[in-house]
Amino acid sequence: MNPLMRVRELYAYRELLKNLVARDLKLRYRNSVLGFAWCLLNPLLMMTVFTVVFTVLLPSNTIDKFPVFILAGILAWNLHTTALTGAINSVVGQAALVQKVYFPREVLPMATVLSNTVNFLLSLVVLFAMAWVYQVELSATLLFLPVVILVQVIFTCGVGLILSAVNVFYRDVASIMETLMLAWFFLTPIFYRIEDVFPTYSRLMYILNPPASFIAAYRDILYYGSITNLTFFSRTAISSVLVFIVGYILFVRLSRGFSERL
Amino acid sequence: MNPSEPAIQFRDVSKRYVIHHNRPQSFQELLVSLVRRAPGSVEDFWALRDVSFSIPHGETIGIVGHNGSGKSTILKMVAGLFNPTSGKVSVSGRVSALIELGAGFHPDLSGRENVYLFGSIMGIGGREMGQRFDGIVDFAELAQFIDEPVKHYSSGMYMRLGFATALSVDADILLIDEVLSVGDQHFQDKCLEAIEDRKQRGMTILMVSHELALVQRFCHRALLMDHGRLVADGPAHEIIGKYLEGQGS
Repeated sequence: MNPLMRVRELYAYRELLKNLVARDLKLRYRNSVLGFAWCLLNPLLMMTVFTVVFTVLLPSNTIDKFPVFILAGILAWNLHTTALTGAINSVVGQAALVQKVYFPREVLPMATVLSNTVNFLLSLVVLFAMAWVYQVELSATLLFLPVVILVQVIFTCGVGLILSAVNVFYRDVASIMETLMLAWFFLTPIFYRIEDVFPTYSRLMYILNPPASFIAAYRDILYYGSITNLTFFSRTAISSVLVFIVGYILFVRLSRGFSERL
Repeated sequence: MNPSEPAIQFRDVSKRYVIHHNRPQSFQELLVSLVRRAPGSVEDFWALRDVSFSIPHGETIGIVGHNGSGKSTILKMVAGLFNPTSGKVSVSGRVSALIELGAGFHPDLSGRENVYLFGSIMGIGGREMGQRFDGIVDFAELAQFIDEPVKHYSSGMYMRLGFATALSVDADILLIDEVLSVGDQHFQDKCLEAIEDRKQRGMTILMVSHELALVQRFCHRALLMDHGRLVADGPAHEIIGKYLEGQGS
């Protein structure tokens, strides 16, 4: 079956995708007292930790309105890391099902990415609240925010598809990613400005690391209140779509062997 | 589904499993195996060899044969889980499998939530599932417990719910793999009745069973498999006779 037919089939299974996302969200908060309040509390607590570290313990930091600055970075990074670590095990974790029933397997990593996206959207409330507290002047560029989110989701789905498929054949992927995500965290401008730390390589850092561009765009919109550089962002969008296409084709190819290999 | 085409057609289908003794499961083992290629560490096993048959719509067919003769591989190919190494498998119509379900059930979700989730795994929408829901609960005899998380179910309840859900799928082709031996007598009878009913309604049924009486009861025609080859294809009673003969010798 070629990837285009697969896309049509995926559409036919859209209800499964929706149900899997709903299941993820339901299960995440079912046994906790505070329920979905956690997707607001978590970023607030992390923001506090980072702000204490970088303003009290390391007072040399000169970034203005640091809580808003860090929150924009943390939220985008959280989406990235929770979606990917979930996606890696999404196929392997459903081995019993994959061995016995046919359905387009790509719904598994995609549902993980999407349920984390829903969480991310809810947690944006915190960022808006902080932007208000710190009197960031939000402008009409806010309308561009959904586009940035969409591009990030496309990129994350692409990487998630690749990792989840390869992990079926080599379980090391999950172990390696634990360390890689940590390195990735430090190489992404979450608690610093890329221009401060890598003044000569900043362009290269953006090209190699799409999450850096997403965070830059979130900050343009919600921290500086300015319009993001459109030529810059369209390059990020193009590479994200390419990652998704490569990921999807690779996944479809490898998924033929899933039932036998699991 | 096109009634003029056969429901299931196998043309010269072969399936090879590559058995890796010490198959690399990690990058480390992969690297080691690239450097030191252990001789004879890969072995071919042919689960099916040049199997050809055709099943028209509405027919009920049994597959018999000893363990490892390739029966389940045939079912997995019809279900779209395995791809043939060579040859062609064509299936016309929606396939549903009566396999040990519960596989798709999530322990923390209630019976109700699981039924709907499983429906969507089978490609059935919420509205359609809603129309069948009462029938499923009724068949599984679980009305009292349907909103409990399934982790609190007994294994029998689990299995009944799985069966009832799978049976509710309106497929054109039904695959049955050795599952009727589970459950108590009462529930088994109910399942057999349900299968009989599907058969009367013209569903194509492909069943694998060691219980020859079952094959005899449901099937007019049967296939006899032996070491991945289709050795006989004909009226069920003749095939069963041949199979028993072969076992005797």
